Amino acid sequence: MPSNTKYDVIVIGGGHNGLVNAAYLARAGKKVLVLERRYVLGGAACTEEVFPGFKFSVCSYVVSLLRPEIIRDLDLPRHGLEILPLDGTFTPMPNGDYLWRVNDHGKTHREIARHSKLDAEAYDEFGKAMQAMCRFVKPILGMVPPDPATLNPKELMKLLFVGRRFQAMNSYDKYNQVQLMTMSAIDFLDQWFETDVLKATMSASGIIGTFLGVRSPGTAYVLLHHYMGEIDGAFRSWGFARGGTGAISNAIADAAREAGVEIRTQSGISQIIIKNGKAKGVVLANGDEIYADVISSSIDPRQTFIKLMEKGHLPDEFIEEVNRYKFRGSSGKVNLALDALPNFKAMPGPGAHLRGAISISPSVEYMERAYDDAKYGNFSRRPYIDMVIPTLTDPSVAPPGKHILSCFVQYAPYKLRPGLDWDSQKEVFGNTVIDTIAEHAPNIKDIILHKQVVTPLDLEREWGLSEGNIFQGELSLEQLFFLRPVPGYAAFRTPIKNLYMCGSATHPGGGIMGGPGRLAALEILKDHKGAA
Amino acid sequence: MADQRDVVIIGGGHNGLVTAFCLAKAGRKPLVLERRPQVGGAAITEEFHPGFRCSTLSHSAGPLLPQVVRDMQLEKHGLKLIAPEIGMTALSPDGRALALHNDPQKAAQSISAFSQKDAAKYGEFQQSLTKLGKVLSKALAMIPPNIDDPSKADLWSMLETARGVRNLGKKDMYRLLRWGPMAVADLVGEFFETELLRAVVAARGIFGTFLGPWSAGSSLVLLLRAAGDAHPAGSAFFAEGGSGAITQAMAAAAQQAGAEIRTGVEVIEVRVKNGAATGVVLSNGEEINAKAIVSNADPKRTLLKLVDPTHLSPDFVTKLQHYRMPGTVAKVNLALSGLPEFTALNGLDANALAGRIHIGPEIDYLERAFDESKYGNFSKQPYLEVAIPSISDPSLAPENRHVMSIYMQYAPYKLKDGGWDKQRVPLGDTVVKTLAQYAPNLPELIVSHQIITPQDLEDTYGLTHGHIFHGELALDQFFTMRPLLDWARYRTPIENLYLCGSGTHPGVGLTGGSGANAAREILKKR
Repeated sequence: MPSNTKYDVIVIGGGHNGLVNAAYLARAGKKVLVLERRYVLGGAACTEEVFPGFKFSVCSYVVSLLRPEIIRDLDLPRHGLEILPLDGTFTPMPNGDYLWRVNDHGKTHREIARHSKLDAEAYDEFGKAMQAMCRFVKPILGMVPPDPATLNPKELMKLLFVGRRFQAMNSYDKYNQVQLMTMSAIDFLDQWFETDVLKATMSASGIIGTFLGVRSPGTAYVLLHHYMGEIDGAFRSWGFARGGTGAISNAIADAAREAGVEIRTQSGISQIIIKNGKAKGVVLANGDEIYADVISSSIDPRQTFIKLMEKGHLPDEFIEEVNRYKFRGSSGKVNLALDALPNFKAMPGPGAHLRGAISISPSVEYMERAYDDAKYGNFSRRPYIDMVIPTLTDPSVAPPGKHILSCFVQYAPYKLRPGLDWDSQKEVFGNTVIDTIAEHAPNIKDIILHKQVVTPLDLEREWGLSEGNIFQGELSLEQLFFLRPVPGYAAFRTPIKNLYMCGSATHPGGGIMGGPGRLAALEILKDHKGAA
Repeated sequence: MADQRDVVIIGGGHNGLVTAFCLAKAGRKPLVLERRPQVGGAAITEEFHPGFRCSTLSHSAGPLLPQVVRDMQLEKHGLKLIAPEIGMTALSPDGRALALHNDPQKAAQSISAFSQKDAAKYGEFQQSLTKLGKVLSKALAMIPPNIDDPSKADLWSMLETARGVRNLGKKDMYRLLRWGPMAVADLVGEFFETELLRAVVAARGIFGTFLGPWSAGSSLVLLLRAAGDAHPAGSAFFAEGGSGAITQAMAAAAQQAGAEIRTGVEVIEVRVKNGAATGVVLSNGEEINAKAIVSNADPKRTLLKLVDPTHLSPDFVTKLQHYRMPGTVAKVNLALSGLPEFTALNGLDANALAGRIHIGPEIDYLERAFDESKYGNFSKQPYLEVAIPSISDPSLAPENRHVMSIYMQYAPYKLKDGGWDKQRVPLGDTVVKTLAQYAPNLPELIVSHQIITPQDLEDTYGLTHGHIFHGELALDQFFTMRPLLDWARYRTPIENLYLCGSGTHPGVGLTGGSGANAAREILKKR
């Protein structure tokens, strides 16, 4: 039954990008409806009380990339967003030593010098070089990708803009930039550092969410992607949202509602209505039909174009490209409710080292072997784990005295080798993660109250992320900028008129960044100027 | 008093000879100095067992750039190329063989025994490679522009290339952009479903590099190689008399044009005064002065060993030290008392052995072979490319006997345990054992063998770290960045010292491209 209300825009999916998209559109005067399938908003940026009293940031667990203009435009702090700093990275090593980098420059310098004096010097230089790179890349993140195959002079000007920015760098920065865009994280870091554990733990940010190893070319770029984190204008700072990652989504949702957006949860859609090559509305899972002038989809291209659309509306070549778009989820999540704090052999007892990220990335070979397992369809026997204990910074998310250990785990390939499936491997996977942690913090097994294991299959089933890819598609060079998600359709538009994409599968990509949602809104407003 | 010359060329490899020819043709007076007893570098033929001759290292003749063959009149100077009709035969351990003819229709026919779908796709892939190859070969023949301060000519040639790219049309243009950074395993996966076909095509993207088929960027290597030969798996070109015949013809052409060649003379130092190269010092103490010095040796050997690094800025030295050239290929040559019987070739035409033979039946097989090398071991189940050149060129071996030339990958230059001296014999055994899975009678036929490890490639043939391309073919070491950004125009920070080897653009094997480009650039400055 068609509903009576007609909207200007329906946003499919209430993840952070869908919400940002809706908020910007509503602020421009559009009547917007957001439809979220789950009972809770935020997509992969959600907080859920999985066990009584324990509020887990189930999927995404730290924040850094959220675009500052979005925080400003939507006035998110007023809507309850509070970012608490996450200080440093602690990397325990099997020989009892450790590497502990913090935001305090002097401390980090001394710590690295303990491993290598040369590296301590190089570390400062490296930071400066990376900042120069970030300055080059940042405006590109805020730009609608041009189409290099077009003859439209406006588009070509955009390409020229990128070219000029590149040209304006000095030759040292150019050299770094080119290398960063093409090299592997380890090859790149090898040029700067000699300490194995330092390279290993730094390279980790180059592989997060990709099906690549630290020695795979192209990973150096992702390293930068993670270096671009910015909170209050300071590069390279990471933090937690008070109340868990869901608090970010809730703040955006609050801003959206204030601007007039209507948000419905538990409203999954089963089809996008298309007539004469134009998107007209959506059919809800319960059969209701809702119409709108514009449909903006924040879910990934496979869900949008293959699952929610009848065959025949799209050119074959486009479908071929969508099918080719690579997801290949490679990570999982293990969330633990703890009775006490883990006790690390490398630095026993409680302390500041537990307040930052704890990285299980003891050597380059360890990282690469973790990847080797995944290539042949196994989860890593000894995975790379990035852990945080948010309760040390924000006690509100657990009962008094209790703690949460949030573990991001890689590699957990979506496609396991023939004979294995995630339903039967879930438990084994969880145990592997705990065993790995236990090698560094032996008390872990005694303090676990509850355990939640999120496999790539869970990410697909529950959060609608195809093949469990946390970025809605791999961040590899051939899937970036004007090639993301489909060459020729990187400007948020699709072959269907009035149907737009606004999720992480579009430029500038994944992470709690909000870039795609905002840029897509601006493009939609270009095409649909008249206010309601 | 030192001998005074016009131009000295260090090293008589194929690129050095091409440069010598081009310079001589333009009226310069080049003197080529070759350390070994014969010119040719990695393109040589040697008798490794009485009566048995073989291309010691590179067994494929390029494909040489057509204009190099033409300009140097290599055929007049004795070069005869053999192009077997079946360029590549891929073997599978279950006893099947996939023969890829040079003729795409015939190739499609062989493929259809495995998959009809792939047979159809093969032609499409080849067409795309042909189109992209045309654009790429323009870029390969181009002197990389100075990106800091492009000249008018630079801008013009960039514009020309850009036009070529645009003329590809939307579909192929996006392919070019998308494929470059991709893993070759993904690329072949997009086109083909037959594992053996995927593997033999993917192998082209990993040959000679420290990449596995799942390494991003391996598609670029495939594209670069396809620029000269658009057959998806590559065709076969052999020189009659082995690869040495190519460089012998080149040497003859260069000499006829007026170049002088001395063999058995080793340059141990490039003399530099006030930032300019003035001459070279030989191992016997002899000094030769020259107005220009051109090095066919790789960039590291030239600038970090032959030149005293104090003449270079520390920044340049650091960057060059980081120029990546980890060798991964070993070579095994066998003298055989007869033709081995390949299980897979039972019913097949004997022609199927005349081209190149691919061992490495699956993408995962190739990737696992690569995995071991990452941790400093040579592959226990290696990827092999085999040629039996004596089938089409009986002059290489006594009657009814044969020589077999095998590239073995991966053999990392840096081993985890011990040096290559200890691993040489196990490496040879591994190669023979692997081949025996496909040709069980091979071990009985072996009369003699020659095993060349990456260490030998460095010590005997002067390839730093045993890298056969004088440096990885990767996006960050390509075009305006080969060998280093700002130094891609065959010049070096030392005035009058030039590079002309594979460590410069385009640097993709035995093509002569680097040598020809370098000569053009040197001739600009008089």
